[in-house]
Parts: sequence; C-alpha cells; structure tokens
Amino acid sequence: MASRSTPRPLPGRHHLSREFIAQHQRARIINALALEVSEQGYRAVTVADIVKRAGIARNTFYENFSSKEDCFLAAQQYAMSAALGRVVEAAGEIDNWSYRVEAGLAAFLRFVAEEPALARTCMVDALAAAPSSVRYYEESLQAFVSLFRLGRDVSPHGQELPETLEEALIGGVFWILYQRLLERPEAVGELLPELVEFALTPYLGAAAARAVAAEGDGASRASTARG
Amino acid sequence: MSDPVKPSVESPEYPPELARLPPGRHGLPREFVARNQRERLIAGLAEAVAENGYAGTTIAHITRHAAVSRRTFYEHFESKDECFIAAYDTVMAELRRRVDEAFNEEEEWPRAVRAGIAVMLEFLTAEPHLARLSMVEALVAGPVVVERYDAAIQGLVPYFEAGREGRSAEVLAGLSPTTEEALVGGMVSLISRRIFAERTEELETLLPDLVEFALTPYLGSAEAAKVARNG
Repeated sequence: MASRSTPRPLPGRHHLSREFIAQHQRARIINALALEVSEQGYRAVTVADIVKRAGIARNTFYENFSSKEDCFLAAQQYAMSAALGRVVEAAGEIDNWSYRVEAGLAAFLRFVAEEPALARTCMVDALAAAPSSVRYYEESLQAFVSLFRLGRDVSPHGQELPETLEEALIGGVFWILYQRLLERPEAVGELLPELVEFALTPYLGAAAARAVAAEGDGASRASTARG
Repeated sequence: MSDPVKPSVESPEYPPELARLPPGRHGLPREFVARNQRERLIAGLAEAVAENGYAGTTIAHITRHAAVSRRTFYEHFESKDECFIAAYDTVMAELRRRVDEAFNEEEEWPRAVRAGIAVMLEFLTAEPHLARLSMVEALVAGPVVVERYDAAIQGLVPYFEAGREGRSAEVLAGLSPTTEEALVGGMVSLISRRIFAERTEELETLLPDLVEFALTPYLGSAEAAKVARNG
C-alpha cells in the first residue's frame, strides 16, 4: 500500500491510458474517503479533506463523484463487494453447511483485519452516513442472511426457528466486530471460534456448535489454502 | 431550588424532560415554565429531529418547537450538538430506569429478561420520536454521541450475564466471553432496523423472537421458545 508521502504521478508525464488513470483515481479517492471517515466520522469529513488526502485536484473529485454522499456510497459498495467476494470464494464450494459458515466467517474476519478502514465503512459508518447508504447496507445484509438461512435445512428444529433469527445473528456478529474494530482491529481473527459457536448454536445446539468451532479452524484453513 | 419538578402535572409516568408542555395551554406558573425551559428545549429538539433529521435540524427548528427564544436556547446550550447530547442522555436514562425496574420485578431470570425487553419495546413504540432520536439519529450526531450510544448498548450486557448464574458446567462451556455482547448487538440491530425503516409500530411484535434469541444460549432452543411464546 502506498503511504501518504509516496509521490503521485504528475499529469502529462506518464504514458498510462486515460481509462486506467480514471479507475485509479477513483480507487484513490475512495480509499481517502474511507480513511478520513474512519478517523473523523462521516459528518465531519469535507470534500476538501478527501481531496487533500487523495492528493488530487478538487475538479478530479467532481469528475468522479457528484458529492460526498455519492463518494461514500461508492466506497461502501466497493468495500461490501470486496468483503462478499471473499466470503463467496471461501464458502462457496463447501457442501457441509456448518463448515461453510465457518469458512465464510473466517474470510470475513480476514477482510476486517486486513482492511479495517474499508470494513468500518461498510459495517459502521454506513449506518451513520446518508439514507442511501443505510438502504444499501440493508440490501447487502441479505446476502449474509441467505447463507445463514440454509442452516434451517440441517437443523432438527429448523421449521420452528424465529423468522428474524438470521438478522439478529448477523447484527450480533457485526456488533462484536465493530467493537473490536474500534479497540484492536488486528485481533479480530481471534474471534473466529466464538463467532462460529454463536452463529451455529441456534441451529445445531450448543454442543454441536462448540465441536465445529473447536475443530473448524483447520477445516476453513484447508478450504482456503492455496498452493 | 434544585429539586426536580414533580412530573405529576402533565404526565405522571414521565420525567419533565420528556413530557410535552405546549406553550400557553398548560396553565402552569411562570416560574415552573422558566425552570423547565431546558426540558422544553430537549423535547423541542426531539420533535425537530423527528421532522428534519439530525443534519437538517437548525436551532430555529428547536426553538420553534420549544416555543422559546433563540437567546434562551443559548442560555442553556452552546450548540445543537450539546442540546442533542442532553436529549440523548435523558432518553437513555429513562429507558434504562424502566428496563431496570421491569427486570428487577421478576424473580426468575428468563422472565426478567422477557419483562425488560417488553418494556423497552413498549417505550420505543409509544415514543417513535424518541426511538428515532436514540437509535437512529444518535449514530449521525457526531463522535461524542456515538461513544455514548456504544456505552449504552454495552451497558445492557450485565442483564444477560446474570443468566450464567446457576447454569450447568456444560451450558457454561458453551458460552464465550462475547456471547452477551453478540446477543445485545443482535437485538439492537433488529430494533434499529425497524426504526430506520419507519416501521416502529411493528416493534412489539418482535418480542417473542427477541426473547427466544436472547435465552437460547442459556436454556437451549426448546426452553427458550417456551418462555418466549408463553410469557
């Protein structure tokens, strides 16, 4: 990752395509917004702060985004699709539901640990930004809901579980991560067994959930390890 | 006199900050009104924020709802933020008082949890403006309020931790150090999402789901469902 003091390419002195630069600028602006918002809160951040941090001209900001809100929504969408992409990649091909949940959670925790500013953007700041971002947050939670919901098929009492269970479980997981993000973002990975147990207990009962949480680390590692 | 004004004048259930005092119609002595300017400003802010959102609320909105002058506003608060913080603290103290009372009235822990959740949902449903202020607008009202919001939610953890008492070793082994935080976070997110979506009137229908969710780690699904459904 480039640090803030890394010299930026100057206009006119490079041979990159316009399209590439446009993409790159967008990413740089999004990243700058995520960092500023995680430090100051959405409300306090100005377009001037973002421009300064991204090292771009004010005009360039407005070529890419119509407003701070527009830029935030883009950052949130980028962050959420990055997180979901990792979850799907890790969990997608596992047949056993509990291992699948575990692998998905592990991937999500890695995302949070590696990209704390982006994670904050889509999990914390999204709720405090603008109505458009709250709407997007709500929609993106549904992807997690459907992953958890499959657990009803393997649960002995799947038919009787409360309708709102998945929503509450995800809310709980997000809350824990949010608390940890504020305190010790680097330690988020340690939470995996607890979160797995928390998520599986309503479906499988405490004993079975604990068993998966205790052995599961290896299972998720095996499924995501790359040669 | 620093005694709190007896709230029985307007609404016996409410602390003065949360009782509305429409100007000129309450027939209260001048002195009473003067002492209650601060409280009226707080109530005025809650109404203004419900109408305009936190960001869109101006001091003029607040003073209009409170029916006091701008000057009076600045005698009590330095800024909109400061007024919001006072309002937030007042709402949360009241909510906490009610939950505490309901919780402590019950002997058995599962029923105490149910009573606490029920009274919280009841308050939020009856006061949609205050619900919005404390659960939604608080998040956009700046770092000071967000910090208090976090602390208020974490403050609910002990009610659930009390459920560990007297459980078997097997049950306790299944509870992690973060179980209570996750439960509280999950419950609050269910509640907040309804308020965000302006479906505050549905909150009370969440009672059985929330109770079952909260009790399952301690009692198991079947027993938790029984308490949730039968009260």
